[in-house]
Amino acid sequence: MRRDRVTLPIATIRQENSSLRTFTFDTPLKALPGQFVMLTIFGQGEKPFSILDATETSFSMTIKNIGPLTDRLFQMEVGELVSIRGPYGKAFSTEADRVLMVGGGYATPPLRFQSKVLRESEVNYLVNINGARTRSDLLYVSDFDEFCDRSLVATDDGSMGHKGTAVDVMAEVLEEESFDIIYISGPEKMMKAAVDVARKYAMPFEVNLERYMKCGVGICGSCVMDPNGFILCVEGPVVDHTNLGKLAEFGFSHRDKTGRIKPL
Amino acid sequence: MQFLGKEITTPLTLASGILGISFSSLQRIIRDGAGMVTTKSLSLEPRIGHEGPVIAEFEGGLVNSVGLTNPGIQEGLVEVEKFHKAFQGVSIVSVFGGNAAEFVQLTKFVNGSPADFLELNLSCPNVEDEFKRPFALMPEKITEIVTAVKAVSQIPILAKLSPNAYDVAEMATLAETAGADGITMINTLGHGMVIDAVAKRPVLRNNYGGISGPCIKPLALKLIRDVYQKVKIPILGTGGVSNGLDAVEMMMAGASAVAIGSAVYDRGLDVFKLTKSEMETFMAKHGYSDYSDLIGILQEN
Repeated sequence: MRRDRVTLPIATIRQENSSLRTFTFDTPLKALPGQFVMLTIFGQGEKPFSILDATETSFSMTIKNIGPLTDRLFQMEVGELVSIRGPYGKAFSTEADRVLMVGGGYATPPLRFQSKVLRESEVNYLVNINGARTRSDLLYVSDFDEFCDRSLVATDDGSMGHKGTAVDVMAEVLEEESFDIIYISGPEKMMKAAVDVARKYAMPFEVNLERYMKCGVGICGSCVMDPNGFILCVEGPVVDHTNLGKLAEFGFSHRDKTGRIKPL
Repeated sequence: MQFLGKEITTPLTLASGILGISFSSLQRIIRDGAGMVTTKSLSLEPRIGHEGPVIAEFEGGLVNSVGLTNPGIQEGLVEVEKFHKAFQGVSIVSVFGGNAAEFVQLTKFVNGSPADFLELNLSCPNVEDEFKRPFALMPEKITEIVTAVKAVSQIPILAKLSPNAYDVAEMATLAETAGADGITMINTLGHGMVIDAVAKRPVLRNNYGGISGPCIKPLALKLIRDVYQKVKIPILGTGGVSNGLDAVEMMMAGASAVAIGSAVYDRGLDVFKLTKSEMETFMAKHGYSDYSDLIGILQEN
Protein backbone atom coordinates (compact mmCIF):
# COMPACT_ATOMS: atom_id res chain seq x y z
CA MET A 1 0.00 0.00 0.00
CA ARG A 2 1.14 3.55 -0.49
CA ARG A 3 3.64 4.78 2.08
CA ASP A 4 3.09 8.30 3.28
CA ARG A 5 5.55 8.64 6.12
CA VAL A 6 8.82 10.60 6.22
CA THR A 7 11.07 10.96 9.26
CA LEU A 8 13.17 14.10 9.46
CA PRO A 9 14.82 16.56 11.83
CA ILE A 10 13.27 19.83 12.99
CA ALA A 11 15.05 22.55 10.96
CA THR A 12 14.01 25.67 12.84
CA ILE A 13 11.83 26.61 15.82
CA ARG A 14 10.38 30.10 16.12
CA GLN A 15 8.53 31.41 19.17
CA GLU A 16 5.39 33.24 17.95
CA ASN A 17 4.00 34.24 21.36
CA SER A 18 3.75 32.82 24.87
CA SER A 19 1.99 29.57 23.78
CA LEU A 20 2.73 29.18 20.05
CA ARG A 21 5.78 28.01 18.16
CA THR A 22 6.42 27.50 14.47
CA PHE A 23 8.33 24.37 13.49
CA THR A 24 9.94 24.22 10.04
CA PHE A 25 11.21 21.18 8.13
CA ASP A 26 13.65 21.35 5.23
CA THR A 27 11.90 19.13 2.75
CA PRO A 28 9.35 19.90 0.03
CA LEU A 29 5.67 19.20 0.73
CA LYS A 30 3.02 19.49 -1.96
CA ALA A 31 0.41 20.97 0.33
CA LEU A 32 -2.40 23.49 -0.05
CA PRO A 33 -3.92 25.83 2.54
CA GLY A 34 -6.34 24.00 4.84
CA GLN A 35 -4.61 20.63 4.48
CA PHE A 36 -2.93 19.01 7.47
CA VAL A 37 -0.18 16.56 8.34
CA MET A 38 -0.03 13.85 11.02
CA LEU A 39 3.03 14.42 13.22
CA THR A 40 4.51 11.59 15.26
CA ILE A 41 6.87 11.96 18.17
CA PHE A 42 8.29 8.48 18.68
CA GLY A 43 7.40 7.01 22.04
CA GLN A 44 4.85 9.75 22.60
CA GLY A 45 2.02 9.83 20.07
CA GLU A 46 0.65 11.23 16.84
CA LYS A 47 -1.61 14.25 16.20
CA PRO A 48 -2.89 16.27 13.21
CA PHE A 49 -1.60 19.81 12.58
CA SER A 50 -2.64 22.28 9.91
CA ILE A 51 0.03 23.65 7.63
CA LEU A 52 1.31 27.22 7.87
CA ASP A 53 3.34 27.18 4.68
CA ALA A 54 4.71 24.72 2.13
CA THR A 55 7.22 25.50 -0.61
CA GLU A 56 9.53 23.61 -2.93
CA THR A 57 12.15 23.47 -0.18
CA SER A 58 10.36 23.45 3.17
CA PHE A 59 7.13 23.37 5.14
CA SER A 60 6.05 24.58 8.54
CA MET A 61 3.33 24.39 11.16
CA THR A 62 2.41 26.87 13.89
CA ILE A 63 1.50 24.83 16.94
CA LYS A 64 -0.11 25.69 20.27
CA ASN A 65 0.99 23.80 23.35
CA ILE A 66 -2.26 22.18 24.47
CA GLY A 67 -1.48 18.62 25.61
CA PRO A 68 1.08 15.89 26.30
CA LEU A 69 2.26 15.57 22.66
CA THR A 70 2.71 19.30 22.09
CA ASP A 71 4.29 19.56 25.53
CA ARG A 72 6.90 17.03 24.43
CA LEU A 73 7.28 18.83 21.08
CA PHE A 74 7.95 22.11 22.89
CA GLN A 75 10.81 20.41 24.79
CA MET A 76 12.44 19.33 21.53
CA GLU A 77 15.30 21.14 19.87
CA VAL A 78 16.44 21.78 16.31
CA GLY A 79 17.87 18.58 14.82
CA GLU A 80 15.65 16.17 16.79
CA LEU A 81 13.64 13.70 14.71
CA VAL A 82 9.90 13.59 14.22
CA SER A 83 7.87 11.71 11.65
CA ILE A 84 5.33 13.27 9.30
CA ARG A 85 2.55 11.79 7.13
CA GLY A 86 0.59 13.82 4.65
CA PRO A 87 -0.52 16.24 3.43
CA TYR A 88 -4.08 15.03 3.96
CA GLY A 89 -7.56 16.43 3.49
CA LYS A 90 -9.36 18.91 1.31
CA ALA A 91 -7.95 22.44 0.94
CA PHE A 92 -9.63 25.82 0.58
CA SER A 93 -10.84 26.61 -2.93
CA THR A 94 -8.84 29.19 -4.91
CA GLU A 95 -11.07 30.24 -7.80
CA ALA A 96 -12.82 33.28 -6.33
CA ASP A 97 -12.09 36.83 -7.41
CA ARG A 98 -13.25 38.82 -4.38
CA VAL A 99 -12.35 37.08 -1.14
CA LEU A 100 -13.04 37.75 2.53
CA MET A 101 -11.19 35.78 5.22
CA VAL A 102 -12.26 35.67 8.87
CA GLY A 103 -9.89 34.11 11.38
CA GLY A 104 -9.78 33.68 15.12
CA GLY A 105 -6.94 33.00 17.55
CA TYR A 106 -4.49 30.22 16.74
CA ALA A 107 -6.64 28.94 13.84
CA THR A 108 -5.38 31.69 11.54
CA PRO A 109 -2.24 29.97 10.10
CA PRO A 110 -4.18 28.24 7.24
CA LEU A 111 -5.63 31.65 6.31
CA ARG A 112 -2.15 33.18 6.26
CA PHE A 113 -1.12 30.36 3.88
CA GLN A 114 -4.30 30.90 1.83
CA SER A 115 -3.70 34.66 1.55
CA LYS A 116 -0.16 34.00 0.28
CA VAL A 117 -1.39 31.48 -2.31
CA LEU A 118 -4.22 33.77 -3.43
CA ARG A 119 -1.85 36.72 -3.78
CA GLU A 120 0.44 34.61 -5.97
CA SER A 121 -2.58 33.61 -8.07
CA GLU A 122 -3.46 37.29 -8.53
CA VAL A 123 -6.74 37.38 -6.68
CA ASN A 124 -8.53 40.62 -7.47
CA TYR A 125 -9.58 41.79 -4.01
CA LEU A 126 -8.57 40.16 -0.72
CA VAL A 127 -9.74 41.24 2.72
CA ASN A 128 -8.67 39.59 5.97
CA ILE A 129 -10.09 40.01 9.47
CA ASN A 130 -7.69 38.77 12.10
CA GLY A 131 -9.30 38.31 15.53
CA ALA A 132 -7.90 37.40 18.95
CA ARG A 133 -8.54 38.04 22.62
CA THR A 134 -5.66 40.45 22.94
CA ARG A 135 -2.84 42.01 20.93
CA SER A 136 -0.19 39.46 21.95
CA ASP A 137 -2.42 36.59 20.70
CA LEU A 138 -2.65 38.01 17.17
CA LEU A 139 -0.67 36.08 14.57
CA TYR A 140 0.93 37.17 11.28
CA VAL A 141 -0.42 40.72 11.28
CA SER A 142 2.39 41.96 9.02
CA ASP A 143 1.98 39.00 6.61
CA PHE A 144 -1.74 39.70 6.27
CA ASP A 145 -0.88 43.39 5.74
CA GLU A 146 1.47 42.37 2.95
CA PHE A 147 -0.78 39.84 1.17
CA CYS A 148 -4.21 41.51 1.57
CA ASP A 149 -5.81 44.57 0.05
CA ARG A 150 -7.47 45.30 3.38
CA SER A 151 -6.04 43.82 6.57
CA LEU A 152 -8.31 44.34 9.59
CA VAL A 153 -7.71 43.42 13.21
CA ALA A 154 -10.13 42.83 16.08
CA THR A 155 -9.29 42.20 19.73
CA ASP A 156 -11.75 41.45 22.51
CA ASP A 157 -10.01 43.93 24.80
CA GLY A 158 -9.38 46.60 22.18
CA SER A 159 -5.59 46.40 22.61
CA MET A 160 -5.22 46.49 18.81
CA GLY A 161 -7.63 47.30 15.98
CA HIS A 162 -11.39 47.19 16.51
CA LYS A 163 -12.59 46.42 20.03
CA GLY A 164 -14.77 43.35 19.65
CA THR A 165 -14.76 40.06 17.76
CA ALA A 166 -13.72 39.26 14.20
CA VAL A 167 -17.36 38.36 13.54
CA ASP A 168 -18.49 41.86 14.60
CA VAL A 169 -16.07 43.34 12.06
CA MET A 170 -17.21 40.81 9.46
CA ALA A 171 -20.82 42.01 9.79
CA GLU A 172 -19.69 45.62 9.35
CA VAL A 173 -17.65 44.78 6.25
CA LEU A 174 -20.54 42.84 4.70
CA GLU A 175 -22.82 45.86 5.18
CA GLU A 176 -20.54 47.76 2.77
CA GLU A 177 -19.10 45.18 0.38
CA SER A 178 -19.91 41.84 -1.18
CA PHE A 179 -17.61 38.90 -1.90
CA ASP A 180 -17.52 35.77 -4.04
CA ILE A 181 -16.52 33.67 -1.05
CA ILE A 182 -15.71 33.87 2.67
CA TYR A 183 -13.04 31.62 4.22
CA ILE A 184 -13.52 31.06 7.96
CA SER A 185 -11.07 29.50 10.41
CA GLY A 186 -11.36 29.74 14.18
CA PRO A 187 -12.82 28.15 17.30
CA GLU A 188 -16.09 26.37 16.37
CA LYS A 189 -18.34 28.74 18.34
CA MET A 190 -16.76 31.70 16.55
CA MET A 191 -17.14 29.93 13.18
CA LYS A 192 -20.80 29.19 13.97
CA ALA A 193 -21.37 32.90 14.57
CA ALA A 194 -19.49 33.77 11.38
CA VAL A 195 -21.51 31.23 9.38
CA ASP A 196 -24.75 32.76 10.69
CA VAL A 197 -23.57 36.17 9.46
CA ALA A 198 -22.47 34.78 6.06
CA ARG A 199 -25.88 33.14 5.63
CA LYS A 200 -27.66 36.36 6.59
CA TYR A 201 -25.85 38.09 3.72
CA ALA A 202 -26.40 35.03 1.46
CA MET A 203 -22.69 34.63 0.72
CA PRO A 204 -20.93 31.33 -0.05
CA PHE A 205 -18.33 30.29 2.49
CA GLU A 206 -15.89 27.57 3.52
CA VAL A 207 -15.02 26.68 7.11
CA ASN A 208 -11.98 24.88 8.49
CA LEU A 209 -13.29 22.28 10.97
CA GLU A 210 -11.60 20.32 13.72
CA ARG A 211 -12.60 16.94 15.17
CA TYR A 212 -10.67 14.27 17.06
CA MET A 213 -8.61 12.47 14.40
CA LYS A 214 -6.64 9.30 14.98
CA CYS A 215 -5.71 7.85 11.56
CA GLY A 216 -6.02 10.87 9.23
CA VAL A 217 -6.80 8.66 6.24
CA GLY A 218 -10.50 7.83 6.62
CA ILE A 219 -10.45 4.40 8.18
CA CYS A 220 -10.67 4.69 11.97
CA GLY A 221 -13.97 6.58 12.08
CA SER A 222 -12.98 8.95 14.93
CA CYS A 223 -13.71 12.17 13.00
CA VAL A 224 -16.90 11.06 11.23
CA MET A 225 -19.65 13.68 11.57
CA ASP A 226 -23.41 13.23 12.01
CA PRO A 227 -25.92 12.72 10.60
CA ASN A 228 -24.56 11.76 7.18
CA GLY A 229 -21.24 10.10 8.00
CA PHE A 230 -19.05 12.87 6.57
CA ILE A 231 -15.42 11.77 7.01
CA LEU A 232 -13.76 15.00 8.06
CA CYS A 233 -10.11 13.93 7.67
CA VAL A 234 -10.65 12.98 4.00
CA GLU A 235 -13.65 15.04 2.87
CA GLY A 236 -12.68 18.04 5.05
CA PRO A 237 -11.25 19.64 7.08
CA VAL A 238 -12.31 22.50 4.80
CA VAL A 239 -16.08 22.22 4.34
CA ASP A 240 -18.12 24.35 1.94
CA HIS A 241 -21.48 25.89 2.77
CA THR A 242 -23.46 23.16 0.96
CA ASN A 243 -21.83 20.31 2.88
CA LEU A 244 -21.84 22.25 6.14
CA GLY A 245 -25.61 22.66 5.82
CA LYS A 246 -25.93 18.87 6.15
CA LEU A 247 -23.70 18.59 9.22
CA ALA A 248 -26.27 19.06 11.96
CA GLU A 249 -23.65 18.59 14.71
CA PHE A 250 -21.68 21.70 13.63
CA GLY A 251 -21.72 24.20 16.48
CA PHE A 252 -23.41 21.75 18.84
CA SER A 253 -21.59 18.48 19.46
CA HIS A 254 -18.56 16.34 18.71
CA ARG A 255 -17.37 12.84 19.57
CA ASP A 256 -14.74 12.17 22.22
CA LYS A 257 -11.79 9.74 21.94
CA THR A 258 -14.06 6.73 22.56
CA GLY A 259 -16.73 7.85 20.08
CA ARG A 260 -19.26 9.15 22.62
CA ILE A 261 -21.26 12.24 21.64
CA LYS A 262 -20.41 15.31 23.76
CA PRO A 263 -21.75 18.87 23.67
CA LEU A 264 -19.30 21.30 22.11
CA MET B 1 -29.26 -13.46 -1.54
CA GLN B 2 -29.54 -14.50 2.10
CA PHE B 3 -27.07 -14.71 4.95
CA LEU B 4 -28.24 -16.67 8.03
CA GLY B 5 -31.84 -16.14 6.98
CA LYS B 6 -31.58 -12.38 6.39
CA GLU B 7 -32.02 -10.92 2.94
CA ILE B 8 -28.90 -8.99 1.92
CA THR B 9 -28.50 -6.88 -1.22
CA THR B 10 -24.85 -7.87 -1.72
CA PRO B 11 -22.49 -10.23 0.12
CA LEU B 12 -20.13 -7.29 0.77
CA THR B 13 -19.82 -6.37 4.42
CA LEU B 14 -17.99 -3.75 6.41
CA ALA B 15 -15.41 -5.53 8.59
CA SER B 16 -15.28 -4.70 12.27
CA GLY B 17 -12.92 -1.92 13.26
CA ILE B 18 -13.18 0.26 10.17
CA LEU B 19 -15.31 3.45 10.40
CA GLY B 20 -17.73 1.59 12.65
CA ILE B 21 -18.28 3.91 15.60
CA SER B 22 -21.27 5.95 14.53
CA PHE B 23 -24.69 5.19 12.99
CA SER B 24 -24.00 7.80 10.33
CA SER B 25 -20.95 6.03 8.93
CA LEU B 26 -22.68 2.62 9.12
CA GLN B 27 -25.66 3.94 7.14
CA ARG B 28 -23.36 5.59 4.64
CA ILE B 29 -21.51 2.31 3.97
CA ILE B 30 -24.82 0.54 3.24
CA ARG B 31 -25.72 3.39 0.87
CA ASP B 32 -22.31 2.97 -0.75
CA GLY B 33 -23.03 -0.66 -1.66
CA ALA B 34 -22.46 -2.93 1.35
CA GLY B 35 -25.08 -5.54 2.28
CA MET B 36 -24.08 -5.71 5.95
CA VAL B 37 -22.07 -3.59 8.37
CA THR B 38 -20.14 -4.67 11.45
CA THR B 39 -19.68 -2.26 14.36
CA LYS B 40 -16.37 -1.74 16.07
CA SER B 41 -16.05 -4.25 18.90
CA LEU B 42 -18.04 -2.95 21.85
CA SER B 43 -16.90 -3.63 25.41
CA LEU B 44 -18.80 -3.17 28.68
CA GLU B 45 -16.96 0.08 29.41
CA PRO B 46 -15.82 2.78 26.92
CA ARG B 47 -12.23 2.40 25.72
CA ILE B 48 -9.93 5.06 24.29
CA GLY B 49 -7.63 2.45 22.76
CA HIS B 50 -3.93 2.91 22.12
CA GLU B 51 -2.08 6.17 21.51
CA GLY B 52 -1.19 6.98 17.90
CA PRO B 53 0.26 6.12 15.53
CA VAL B 54 -2.31 3.32 15.47
CA ILE B 55 -1.77 2.41 11.82
CA ALA B 56 1.46 1.83 9.92
CA GLU B 57 1.41 1.18 6.20
CA PHE B 58 3.85 -1.11 4.38
CA GLU B 59 4.12 -2.64 0.88
CA GLY B 60 1.74 -5.50 1.61
CA GLY B 61 -0.90 -3.76 3.67
CA LEU B 62 -1.34 -2.21 7.10
CA VAL B 63 -0.33 -3.01 10.63
CA ASN B 64 -2.76 -1.60 13.18
CA SER B 65 -2.94 -1.34 16.93
CA VAL B 66 -6.13 0.61 17.46
CA GLY B 67 -6.74 -1.28 20.72
CA LEU B 68 -10.54 -1.65 20.66
CA THR B 69 -11.49 2.02 20.77
CA ASN B 70 -15.24 2.14 21.41
CA PRO B 71 -17.87 4.14 23.30
CA GLY B 72 -18.99 1.14 25.38
CA ILE B 73 -21.87 -1.29 24.77
CA GLN B 74 -24.68 1.01 25.92
CA GLU B 75 -23.65 4.04 23.83
CA GLY B 76 -22.70 1.73 20.97
CA LEU B 77 -26.16 0.16 20.89
CA VAL B 78 -27.74 3.63 20.79
CA GLU B 79 -25.85 4.04 17.49
CA VAL B 80 -27.16 0.65 16.30
CA GLU B 81 -30.71 1.71 17.19
CA LYS B 82 -30.26 4.96 15.21
CA PHE B 83 -28.82 2.92 12.35
CA HIS B 84 -31.98 0.81 12.09
CA LYS B 85 -34.43 3.68 12.53
CA ALA B 86 -36.26 4.08 9.22
CA PHE B 87 -33.29 2.52 7.42
CA GLN B 88 -32.87 -0.78 5.56
CA GLY B 89 -29.60 -2.54 6.32
CA VAL B 90 -28.29 -5.57 8.14
CA SER B 91 -26.15 -4.96 11.22
CA ILE B 92 -23.61 -7.16 12.93
CA VAL B 93 -22.75 -6.03 16.44
CA SER B 94 -19.24 -7.04 17.39
CA VAL B 95 -18.55 -7.45 21.10
CA PHE B 96 -15.40 -8.00 23.12
CA GLY B 97 -15.32 -9.28 26.71
CA GLY B 98 -12.50 -10.17 29.08
CA ASN B 99 -14.13 -13.52 30.00
CA ALA B 100 -17.25 -15.63 29.36
CA ALA B 101 -19.28 -13.78 32.00
CA GLU B 102 -18.57 -10.44 30.30
CA PHE B 103 -19.54 -11.88 26.90
CA VAL B 104 -22.83 -13.02 28.45
CA GLN B 105 -23.46 -9.56 29.93
CA LEU B 106 -22.72 -7.98 26.55
CA THR B 107 -25.07 -10.44 24.84
CA LYS B 108 -27.89 -9.49 27.20
CA PHE B 109 -27.44 -5.83 26.21
CA VAL B 110 -27.49 -6.78 22.52
CA ASN B 111 -30.69 -8.81 23.08
CA GLY B 112 -32.50 -5.57 23.82
CA SER B 113 -31.36 -3.96 20.55
CA PRO B 114 -32.47 -4.22 16.92
CA ALA B 115 -29.12 -5.79 15.89
CA ASP B 116 -29.40 -8.61 13.33
CA PHE B 117 -26.32 -10.64 14.26
CA LEU B 118 -23.87 -10.83 17.15
CA GLU B 119 -20.17 -11.28 16.39
CA LEU B 120 -17.90 -12.49 19.18
CA ASN B 121 -14.46 -10.98 18.81
CA LEU B 122 -12.44 -13.84 20.26
CA SER B 123 -9.30 -12.90 18.39
CA CYS B 124 -8.17 -9.27 18.85
CA PRO B 125 -4.36 -9.33 18.79
CA ASN B 126 -3.98 -5.81 20.16
CA VAL B 127 -4.97 -6.16 23.78
CA GLU B 128 -2.77 -9.04 24.94
CA ASP B 129 -1.09 -6.82 27.52
CA GLU B 130 -4.47 -6.41 29.16
CA PHE B 131 -6.30 -9.63 28.39
CA LYS B 132 -3.49 -12.15 27.73
CA ARG B 133 -3.72 -14.72 24.97
CA PRO B 134 -6.68 -14.27 22.56
CA PHE B 135 -9.51 -16.73 23.26
CA ALA B 136 -9.50 -17.94 19.63
CA LEU B 137 -6.16 -19.65 20.33
CA MET B 138 -7.54 -21.63 23.28
CA PRO B 139 -9.93 -24.49 22.41
CA GLU B 140 -11.52 -24.65 25.87
CA LYS B 141 -12.21 -20.87 25.84
CA ILE B 142 -13.91 -21.04 22.44
CA THR B 143 -16.20 -23.77 23.74
CA GLU B 144 -16.85 -22.01 27.05
CA ILE B 145 -17.63 -18.57 25.61
CA VAL B 146 -19.70 -19.71 22.61
CA THR B 147 -21.72 -22.12 24.78
CA ALA B 148 -22.41 -19.42 27.37
CA VAL B 149 -23.40 -16.82 24.76
CA LYS B 150 -25.55 -19.26 22.77
CA ALA B 151 -27.57 -20.01 25.91
CA VAL B 152 -28.71 -16.37 26.19
CA SER B 153 -28.48 -14.81 22.72
CA GLN B 154 -31.75 -14.11 20.90
CA ILE B 155 -30.00 -13.57 17.56
CA PRO B 156 -27.57 -15.68 15.48
CA ILE B 157 -23.95 -15.53 16.65
CA LEU B 158 -20.74 -15.46 14.63
CA ALA B 159 -17.43 -16.49 16.21
CA LYS B 160 -14.55 -14.39 14.88
CA LEU B 161 -11.45 -16.56 14.62
CA SER B 162 -7.74 -15.84 14.46
CA PRO B 163 -5.35 -17.03 11.74
CA ASN B 164 -2.76 -17.49 14.48
CA ALA B 165 -4.25 -20.73 15.84
CA TYR B 166 -2.34 -23.88 14.89
CA ASP B 167 -5.46 -25.61 13.54
CA VAL B 168 -8.07 -22.99 12.63
CA ALA B 169 -10.48 -25.59 11.19
CA GLU B 170 -10.46 -27.38 14.55
CA MET B 171 -11.27 -24.05 16.30
CA ALA B 172 -14.16 -23.52 13.88
CA THR B 173 -15.48 -27.02 14.57
CA LEU B 174 -15.40 -26.32 18.31
CA ALA B 175 -17.32 -23.07 17.77
CA GLU B 176 -19.91 -24.88 15.63
CA THR B 177 -20.32 -27.66 18.18
CA ALA B 178 -20.77 -25.05 20.96
CA GLY B 179 -23.63 -23.49 19.00
CA ALA B 180 -22.13 -20.78 16.78
CA ASP B 181 -24.40 -19.97 13.83
CA GLY B 182 -21.52 -18.77 11.67
CA ILE B 183 -17.78 -18.09 11.56
CA THR B 184 -16.10 -14.77 10.80
CA MET B 185 -12.53 -15.25 9.63
CA ILE B 186 -9.78 -14.19 9.58
CA ASN B 187 -8.92 -11.52 12.11
CA THR B 188 -5.61 -9.72 11.56
CA LEU B 189 -2.45 -11.80 11.40
CA GLY B 190 0.45 -11.80 13.74
CA HIS B 191 1.71 -9.48 15.49
CA GLY B 192 3.70 -7.61 12.96
CA MET B 193 6.04 -4.65 13.19
CA VAL B 194 6.83 -1.79 10.83
CA ILE B 195 10.21 -0.19 11.48
CA ASP B 196 11.30 3.35 10.76
CA ALA B 197 15.00 2.95 9.95
CA VAL B 198 15.84 6.65 10.21
CA ALA B 199 14.44 6.87 13.70
CA LYS B 200 15.45 3.32 14.72
CA ARG B 201 11.92 2.92 16.07
CA PRO B 202 8.81 0.85 15.40
CA VAL B 203 6.27 3.12 13.71
CA LEU B 204 3.35 2.08 15.94
CA ARG B 205 3.23 3.68 19.38
CA ASN B 206 2.31 0.21 20.65
CA ASN B 207 5.35 -1.20 18.76
CA TYR B 208 3.39 -4.04 17.14
CA GLY B 209 -0.07 -4.75 15.81
CA GLY B 210 -2.26 -6.95 13.65
CA ILE B 211 -1.36 -7.33 9.96
CA SER B 212 -4.09 -6.78 7.36
CA GLY B 213 -4.39 -6.02 3.67
CA PRO B 214 -3.44 -7.79 0.43
CA CYS B 215 -0.55 -9.75 1.98
CA ILE B 216 -2.87 -11.82 4.19
CA LYS B 217 -5.33 -12.76 1.42
CA PRO B 218 -3.63 -16.07 0.43
CA LEU B 219 -3.68 -17.14 4.07
CA ALA B 220 -7.34 -16.15 4.45
CA LEU B 221 -8.28 -18.11 1.31
CA LYS B 222 -6.50 -21.27 2.49
CA LEU B 223 -7.95 -21.13 5.99
CA ILE B 224 -11.48 -20.37 4.76
CA ARG B 225 -11.20 -23.38 2.46
CA ASP B 226 -10.10 -25.59 5.37
CA VAL B 227 -12.97 -24.39 7.53
CA TYR B 228 -15.54 -24.65 4.71
CA GLN B 229 -14.65 -28.30 4.33
CA LYS B 230 -14.99 -28.97 8.07
CA VAL B 231 -18.14 -27.09 9.17
CA LYS B 232 -21.71 -26.68 7.91
CA ILE B 233 -22.35 -23.15 9.25
CA PRO B 234 -21.76 -20.19 6.91
CA ILE B 235 -18.50 -18.23 6.83
CA LEU B 236 -18.20 -14.45 6.70
CA GLY B 237 -14.83 -14.26 4.95
CA THR B 238 -12.42 -11.40 5.50
CA GLY B 239 -8.70 -10.77 5.03
CA GLY B 240 -7.09 -8.73 2.28
CA VAL B 241 -10.10 -8.30 -0.01
CA SER B 242 -9.59 -5.14 -2.09
CA ASN B 243 -11.56 -5.72 -5.29
CA GLY B 244 -14.26 -7.78 -6.96
CA LEU B 245 -11.95 -10.57 -8.04
CA ASP B 246 -10.67 -10.96 -4.47
CA ALA B 247 -14.26 -11.21 -3.25
CA VAL B 248 -15.12 -13.82 -5.91
CA GLU B 249 -12.06 -15.88 -4.94
CA MET B 250 -13.01 -15.77 -1.28
CA MET B 251 -16.56 -16.92 -1.99
CA MET B 252 -15.25 -19.72 -4.21
CA ALA B 253 -13.05 -20.82 -1.29
CA GLY B 254 -16.17 -21.11 0.84
CA ALA B 255 -17.26 -17.72 2.20
CA SER B 256 -21.00 -16.96 2.08
CA ALA B 257 -20.32 -13.23 2.47
CA VAL B 258 -17.14 -11.16 2.31
CA ALA B 259 -16.01 -8.36 4.60
CA ILE B 260 -13.77 -5.48 3.54
CA GLY B 261 -11.57 -3.47 5.90
CA SER B 262 -8.10 -2.20 5.09
CA ALA B 263 -8.92 -1.65 1.41
CA VAL B 264 -10.74 1.51 2.49
CA TYR B 265 -7.23 2.94 2.99
CA ASP B 266 -6.30 2.56 -0.69
CA ARG B 267 -9.67 2.89 -2.42
CA GLY B 268 -11.72 5.02 -0.02
CA LEU B 269 -15.37 4.36 0.73
CA ASP B 270 -15.93 3.80 -2.99
CA VAL B 271 -14.37 0.39 -2.42
CA PHE B 272 -17.85 -1.10 -1.79
CA LYS B 273 -19.40 0.35 -4.94
CA LEU B 274 -16.33 -0.57 -7.02
CA THR B 275 -16.02 -4.10 -5.63
CA LYS B 276 -19.73 -4.75 -6.21
CA SER B 277 -19.52 -3.69 -9.85
CA GLU B 278 -16.28 -5.63 -10.38
CA MET B 279 -17.98 -8.75 -8.98
CA GLU B 280 -20.97 -8.26 -11.25
CA THR B 281 -18.73 -7.82 -14.28
CA PHE B 282 -16.90 -11.06 -13.48
CA MET B 283 -20.13 -12.94 -12.86
CA ALA B 284 -21.77 -11.74 -16.07
CA LYS B 285 -18.69 -12.61 -18.11
CA HIS B 286 -18.40 -16.11 -16.64
CA GLY B 287 -22.08 -16.99 -16.46
CA TYR B 288 -22.91 -16.78 -12.74
CA SER B 289 -26.40 -15.44 -12.13
CA ASP B 290 -26.41 -15.17 -8.34
CA TYR B 291 -23.79 -14.40 -5.72
CA SER B 292 -24.67 -17.62 -3.93
CA ASP B 293 -23.64 -19.61 -7.03
CA LEU B 294 -20.04 -18.79 -6.12
CA ILE B 295 -19.99 -20.22 -2.61
CA GLY B 296 -17.47 -23.02 -2.19
CA ILE B 297 -17.31 -23.97 -5.89
CA LEU B 298 -13.51 -24.17 -5.95
CA GLN B 299 -12.24 -27.44 -7.39
CA GLU B 300 -8.99 -28.58 -5.85
CA ASN B 301 -6.23 -29.99 -8.08
